[in-house]
Amino acid sequence: MLDFLMRRMLLMIPTLFIVSGISFFVIQAPPGDFVTAHVQRLEDRGQIVDREAIEAMRARYGLDQPAHVQYVRWIRSMFRGDLGMSFDWGAPVSRVIARRIPNSLIISLFSFLFVYAVAIPIGMLSATRQYSVADYFFTFVAFVGLGIPNFLFALVMLWVVYSMTGQVLIGLFSAEYVDAAWSWARFMDMLRHVWIPAIIVGTAGTAKIVRVMRASLLDELQKPYVMVARAKGLSRSHVNYKYPFRIAINPVVSTIGWTLPSLITGEMLVSLVLGLPTLAPIFLRALQMQDMYLAGGIVFVLTLLTLLGTLISDILLGWIDPRIRFSSM
Amino acid sequence: MATETADDVLSVHDLKSYFFSREGTLRAIDGLSFNLKAGKVLGIAGESGCGKSVTAQSILRILPRHGKTVSGQVLLTRDGKVTDLLALGEESSEIRRIRGKEIAMIFQEPMTSFSPVHTIGDQIIETIRLHRGLSKAQARASAIEILESVGMPHPSRTIDEYPFNLSGGMRQRAMIAMALSCNPRVLIADEPTTAVDVTIQAQVLELIRQMQAQLGMAVIMITHDLGVIAELADHVLIMYLGRGVEFGSVEQIFHNPKHPYTRGLLASIPKLQKGHTLVEPIKGAVPNPYDAPAGCPFHPRCPQFMQGTCEVTMPQVVEVEPGHWVACHLYGGEDQR
Ligand SMILES: Nc1ncnc2c1ncn2[C@@H]1O[C@H](COP(=O)(O)OP(=O)(O)O)[C@@H](O)[C@H]1O
Ligand code: SF4
Ligand SMILES: [Mg+2]
Repeated sequence: MLDFLMRRMLLMIPTLFIVSGISFFVIQAPPGDFVTAHVQRLEDRGQIVDREAIEAMRARYGLDQPAHVQYVRWIRSMFRGDLGMSFDWGAPVSRVIARRIPNSLIISLFSFLFVYAVAIPIGMLSATRQYSVADYFFTFVAFVGLGIPNFLFALVMLWVVYSMTGQVLIGLFSAEYVDAAWSWARFMDMLRHVWIPAIIVGTAGTAKIVRVMRASLLDELQKPYVMVARAKGLSRSHVNYKYPFRIAINPVVSTIGWTLPSLITGEMLVSLVLGLPTLAPIFLRALQMQDMYLAGGIVFVLTLLTLLGTLISDILLGWIDPRIRFSSM
Repeated sequence: MATETADDVLSVHDLKSYFFSREGTLRAIDGLSFNLKAGKVLGIAGESGCGKSVTAQSILRILPRHGKTVSGQVLLTRDGKVTDLLALGEESSEIRRIRGKEIAMIFQEPMTSFSPVHTIGDQIIETIRLHRGLSKAQARASAIEILESVGMPHPSRTIDEYPFNLSGGMRQRAMIAMALSCNPRVLIADEPTTAVDVTIQAQVLELIRQMQAQLGMAVIMITHDLGVIAELADHVLIMYLGRGVEFGSVEQIFHNPKHPYTRGLLASIPKLQKGHTLVEPIKGAVPNPYDAPAGCPFHPRCPQFMQGTCEVTMPQVVEVEPGHWVACHLYGGEDQR
């Protein structure tokens, strides 16, 4: 198991560089660069920019070098923990990301908690009461949840909340806390706002996990060891809790690996619709502005988070399932 | 079948257990009666699908959700006190005190009969603590002792093994240890040797025989292998399509079989004759249990079928000699239903 984890962590390093490398070149691919986009914007506002100033700017940012040289420079500085400068913000990429990332993480974390806290009990209920009214009801709800695109769901929620309370639920904070520093009051204020994006982002995932939990538990409930445990004199609820639930949860834990990335992308889309101060809007802007170090940095951070999530799910799985802990893998 | 006597520890009367599904009602057990004497071994034999496992599950009341015991009595006698298990609630504390404590069961599949994510010790200790009220440490010591007595190698180490780390034979030993951990009055062994290696089979049977003699419990040995019965049993019940067709002592069944089905089963045991094996299988296959034949359920396959009788009425159970019971029109007795 330890061996396996060490290997997994070592593998993360090349994965990170391959993913960030690919995204770097994809971001580079469109014609022009940040300076072109910047000059374009200045000229749109009627300013004249002379060629020399443009070239000086390019040289300052290293944009006059070929793409692969820029890439090597970027990677090299990343080894020193430096993600580069954002042209657009005129600030280090790490600082731009650091300001936004807590919001992204909080939404993802809450939707993650929502997904599992809701899906596991419902999956259990559906399986232990197979073909009951509750089972059919939740199966129906789950399919609806899977079918609705996040952005549509977000718009519907906005409308519902608006028509019920007259409030427009845009943003993650009330007006007085938007620019305030983190404090207990600001945190509580965020809690009042975060549940809507968390539910929107989590719904599709919840529906999927309900299906996984239900199928996996139905499978376990008819295994011989359940009857054996009953033959020993344990009550049905004790048997269920100690054996099939415990084993049926394993496939659910292994879904964490793919739930996290889908929550992160889901969060991005919903943040754009609801105007939340997360990484999503600045990522979009960075792409539009060809602010490549910022865009690359965001991709890098998201990839890192995804890989960490998968690693955590592997550790959890090995911890709860001796069959994995004991196999060499 | 068989008259009730004072030394019966378990007696089953007119048991009926059905499965209900979209395809209809499957009458897995349809009017089964037999007695088990204290300290004796009763062998139950019959082709696969005749209802042996469902009988065991009905006695312990652990049928799967879509199965139901619809009528009958299962009388357990403990120190002169008789309890009808079918009168108890399926989840009642009374029946749960009987399961694993008074009546324990060994299952066919030692691999899947243990939870794969708990150690065998965990699962044995759980049973001991449930019924014997011992502390964790005492229960563990007791479990190690029992594992030792069933011949588990290095019991104080194997107790902490997960089932997938043990061989098939060791798993079946652990299963037997778990069943015996609370000194049951009745042990039901449902094909305990079917899923283990041929070389292990003899060891497992020998172990059950030894433990039975040592602990003095009554055993129901379920098998489709008459050889196993010949080796272990005192009495034999032959089942066909959810009913008992013949009951008697081992000598009566093997030396004086009466029912054409019993004779067929005995003839289909491979035996060496003039240097080559001779097997005469019973012709035809077990009918679809969703619609059992009218009259004698065995009539479509019976070589002694009597037109006009066998397919019309159900044969009554008659005692052909003391303690030897048969349900077949060849031996008289009209019936019923
Ligand atoms: N869980 C179940 N669901 C539906 N039918 C079952 C179930 N278990 C057994 N049966 C049916 O009941 C009949 C008796 O089965 P069983 O007692 O398992 O036979 P065996 O004598 O081989 O142990 C068979 O027709 C079988 O198909
Ligand atoms: S009753 Fe008839 S069909 Fe049935 S076993 Fe006897 S002879 Fe055969
Ligand atoms: Mg069986």
